Amino acid sequence: MGPLIPNGVIPYEWSNIIAIIIGIAFGFVLEASGFSSSRKLAGVFYGYDFAVLKVFFTAALVSLIGILYMDYLGYLDMGSLYVHPTYLWGAIIGGAIMGVGFVAGGFCPGTSLCAVAIGKVDAIIYVIGIMIGVFIFSELYFLFQPIYEGSFEGNITLMDTFGVNRYWFVFVFTIAAIIIFALSDQIKKRVKKIFY
Amino acid sequence: MVNRKVAKVLTFRYTILALILVILAAGLVLLPKYQKHEGINPEELLSKAISPERYISTDLLAEKLVNQDPSFILIDVRDEAEYAKYSLPNAINIPLKKLLDEDSIPYLNQSQYNVILFSNDNFNADQAWLLCSRLNYKNLKVLKGGLNEWYKTIINPTKPSENMTALDFELYSTRKAASMFFGVAYPEQFKVDKPVVVKKTAPKKVITVEKKKKKPAEGGC
Repeated sequence: MGPLIPNGVIPYEWSNIIAIIIGIAFGFVLEASGFSSSRKLAGVFYGYDFAVLKVFFTAALVSLIGILYMDYLGYLDMGSLYVHPTYLWGAIIGGAIMGVGFVAGGFCPGTSLCAVAIGKVDAIIYVIGIMIGVFIFSELYFLFQPIYEGSFEGNITLMDTFGVNRYWFVFVFTIAAIIIFALSDQIKKRVKKIFY
Repeated sequence: MVNRKVAKVLTFRYTILALILVILAAGLVLLPKYQKHEGINPEELLSKAISPERYISTDLLAEKLVNQDPSFILIDVRDEAEYAKYSLPNAINIPLKKLLDEDSIPYLNQSQYNVILFSNDNFNADQAWLLCSRLNYKNLKVLKGGLNEWYKTIINPTKPSENMTALDFELYSTRKAASMFFGVAYPEQFKVDKPVVVKKTAPKKVITVEKKKKKPAEGGC
């Protein structure tokens, strides 16, 4: 919880309770916007619904621009933000597996739990599948370890790697996102409408 | 009943939202840039500077050295000539003018070890401390009083006078023992005690005397 808990504005003990409240709110919003439907989620891959793409791209853009403004105005220190470490090949292989699972099952891990909450049978089977996957991974960890911990690149960002100005990068990223949104609308118009 | 004008505007709602995003992103590009304050902020630096925790006493350092504590590295910020003459055991020489060289950074900017900076007194070590703290390097300490204090307290500790407390005598004997560790010789070390003569009492031996069997005389006169 960002600056509030380390600075003692909120006592540390509240951390878990706040996490639960945020989690419930997140799940509620996901379910309310129809993200517990596997047809809606898989629609990205078949071209009849781009809600997932738009939602997550917009979320990334809004937070990116917001953080940069806050950093510029001195409300937030970009340097102390957590940057997730990059394990290059692990991320590529894991992302591919996740993508296949996404198309085949129609859920990502978060939305699958959302769908379990409203009692969808396919989601329940999906979650059981996740658990089997976790079990296999843990038992065969010694085999996966070189990939899992290999090709470590540190806490790098795109801006540092390519040495581009972050403000220009965000500007180009915004334009690209809007072009992608427009294109996805065009694709949606051409693909046969599916009722779900 | 939605107002027609509002409805007409709302048909462009996605375009408007997209435009807002583009304008905001363009705003970031067009904003005047200013040199950002790198490293830690002045308030934090001040609170670190006035904290007594940034000093380490010579006694504590001696104790660490004697116990071969592996948790710290010693950095001598005097110049090479002085370093060559005398320095603390295992100290690394980084003269103050080479402090920001690329070769010195791995020693100073790391989190495994405590870095203890020292010079002849506090002064140069404090300057090095300030520069490194400003760069947000961690775990920096300064040897209080520097090598002069080290000499005064550890290498050549002053003998407490008779009216001082037992604690002072204890401290003196600890310091003296430490100085012996660092190679100072005291005359009493060489005082050879007179060998105590221990009288050896010879153990009683049981001598069994075998009676000789009388042999028959073998010739002779």
